Amino acid sequence: MTFRRFLIKRIIIAFLLTLVSVSVIFVTLRMLPGTPFSSLVASGGLSTEQVNQIEAQYGLNEPIYVQYIKYIQSLLTLNFGYSLAESRPVSEIIYPRLMNTLILLVPALITTAIISSIAGLYAGWNRGSTFEQSSIVVTTFFRSTPVFVTGIFLLVIFAYQLGIFPAFGMRSPLDNPEGYIETYFAFDFAKHYFLPFIATVLYYSGDFLLLARNSVIERKGSAFLTLHRAKGLSEREQLARAGRNSMLPLVTYFALRMGMLFQGVITLEVVFSWPGIGRTLVQAINQQDYPTVQAAVFIMALAVITMNLLADVMYARIDPTVEEGDV
Amino acid sequence: MSTTRFDTAKDRFDDLLKRSRRTARYVLRDNSAKLGVGILAVFTFLGVFGPELAPYAPIEDTLRTDAGGIRRMEPPSNAAPLGTTTYGKDVLSQFLAGARPTFIVGFFGGVGTGIVGFLVGLVAGYFGGRVDEFLMRLTDLTFSLPFLPMALLVLTFVTPSVTLITAVIVAFFWKMPARVIRSEVLTVRERTFVKSARASGAGHFRIMFLHVAPNVLGIGFLYTAYAVAWAIAGQASLAFLGFGDPTTTSWGRMLRQVFASGGMREAWWWVFPPAIGIAAVTTSVFLVGRAFEEVVNPELRGDE
Repeated sequence: MTFRRFLIKRIIIAFLLTLVSVSVIFVTLRMLPGTPFSSLVASGGLSTEQVNQIEAQYGLNEPIYVQYIKYIQSLLTLNFGYSLAESRPVSEIIYPRLMNTLILLVPALITTAIISSIAGLYAGWNRGSTFEQSSIVVTTFFRSTPVFVTGIFLLVIFAYQLGIFPAFGMRSPLDNPEGYIETYFAFDFAKHYFLPFIATVLYYSGDFLLLARNSVIERKGSAFLTLHRAKGLSEREQLARAGRNSMLPLVTYFALRMGMLFQGVITLEVVFSWPGIGRTLVQAINQQDYPTVQAAVFIMALAVITMNLLADVMYARIDPTVEEGDV
Repeated sequence: MSTTRFDTAKDRFDDLLKRSRRTARYVLRDNSAKLGVGILAVFTFLGVFGPELAPYAPIEDTLRTDAGGIRRMEPPSNAAPLGTTTYGKDVLSQFLAGARPTFIVGFFGGVGTGIVGFLVGLVAGYFGGRVDEFLMRLTDLTFSLPFLPMALLVLTFVTPSVTLITAVIVAFFWKMPARVIRSEVLTVRERTFVKSARASGAGHFRIMFLHVAPNVLGIGFLYTAYAVAWAIAGQASLAFLGFGDPTTTSWGRMLRQVFASGGMREAWWWVFPPAIGIAAVTTSVFLVGRAFEEVVNPELRGDE
């Protein structure tokens, strides 16, 4: 199979997967009993006719297949329809939140990928040292503890007991910045940013550290390193070469992690009241705001599928020993 | 014929027992693994006897002062060794009682995930071809449906119970062991002893369970152990977001209450027991698992 055919096959599979998962999301949501507005009748706020009118306005009384087609259309055009709870376009709600999540996660993931991988390479090289042992125990603690528990520890210690950092939200309630630059490049924002950032960095540190360490250990005995040693390269130069050779699993792992990021942070965003996409999703579920839920889950699923595709393709491209058919 | 089948099975089993005993000895040489096993033993004990040890009923009993007022948000004292909650409940009792649902979901969710994943991986890897293609696309699909959002959706229209949460966790986590087991089975399948078994006329079922399965059991156990930690973390996350079993006290639910009531601001005595409990248990699982991985993965032995 040529690379091009492999690529086309993977893209088609990714597309089909996306279609099936959005359909699953659609079906799950329609199985929920009642509509967001039926509770209004029960509470006596509105009459049945009025509710029917509202439902017609949002297209909720159309046959299910028409709703399905409209739903797919709205996903393809990325405008996601109208929010039931806030009665404004979902895209207006979801994109700023998505931005808030990305601004938290992407720098955190990059930071932890670089620092932890280097620490992991060093740990693997000095196998059996105190640094190796302790770094593994510490990062194992942070990677296996659910991220919101780490967040709660940080919150209680640094925000509530010591009072060094703010505990709530993304900026002080009195601030009203306009535009991305004013929002994200402010001292106040940095203060709010610190704790959730640290929690994310710690949470993902363990995986990169272990991966880099194992990778170096696996290469330590190999012939090319013996050659480098015989050539008279210093320890550090040898490590640099072993490290370059261990990059592949790290790079693909980074892509996979990137795809799964959104799901991991739902609880974290709730703990720190970070106005991101995860917290929006939880709120939308509680308010039965279908269009917003659909959009948020769709974005999360799409991220996983795209990044998986990217990881597979990179793997096939970078590693010459992987036959394209295997992946 | 049937006696020889049982004999072989018994042989394999004895062999397995001997091997696992040896592996356990190796694993326990690692200090952090020792610590992990210790913590897990305590957790299991609490999971079984916790509710009986609790001095008060975790939800029903309200602690009162001699004058009859409710003891709200009191720091640790003699009457309540770990303090009280906003509602005047004993934190120690909640902690002890909360160990059981946490343990049940962790144990059954983890074991269920391990079994389902193991079987799917074994079948997919062994048969290959269409079966494999179908099962692997199915795992791809579950990978692309994110766990937390989907679990939240499911739990909004059915009342969460311990059983249901366990089932949801198994339904979303089996994919991880399935993939790993499959790729292991792919290499075992091509080994000579499997081919010779096939040549001497053994059936698929026999080859799968007597020849292939024992060789991937180690990795299966490893992922079952990890699944226990994922299940505990998953359950705690759900409970924290307010989608836990409303009738029982679990550690995740304690965190939910202390967070939602705003008690977190002062009541560190209410936050730390469940948070430390969850962190200690999940960390222990991974410490033991990692020591075990060091033994099963020959590549990690390096040039020692």
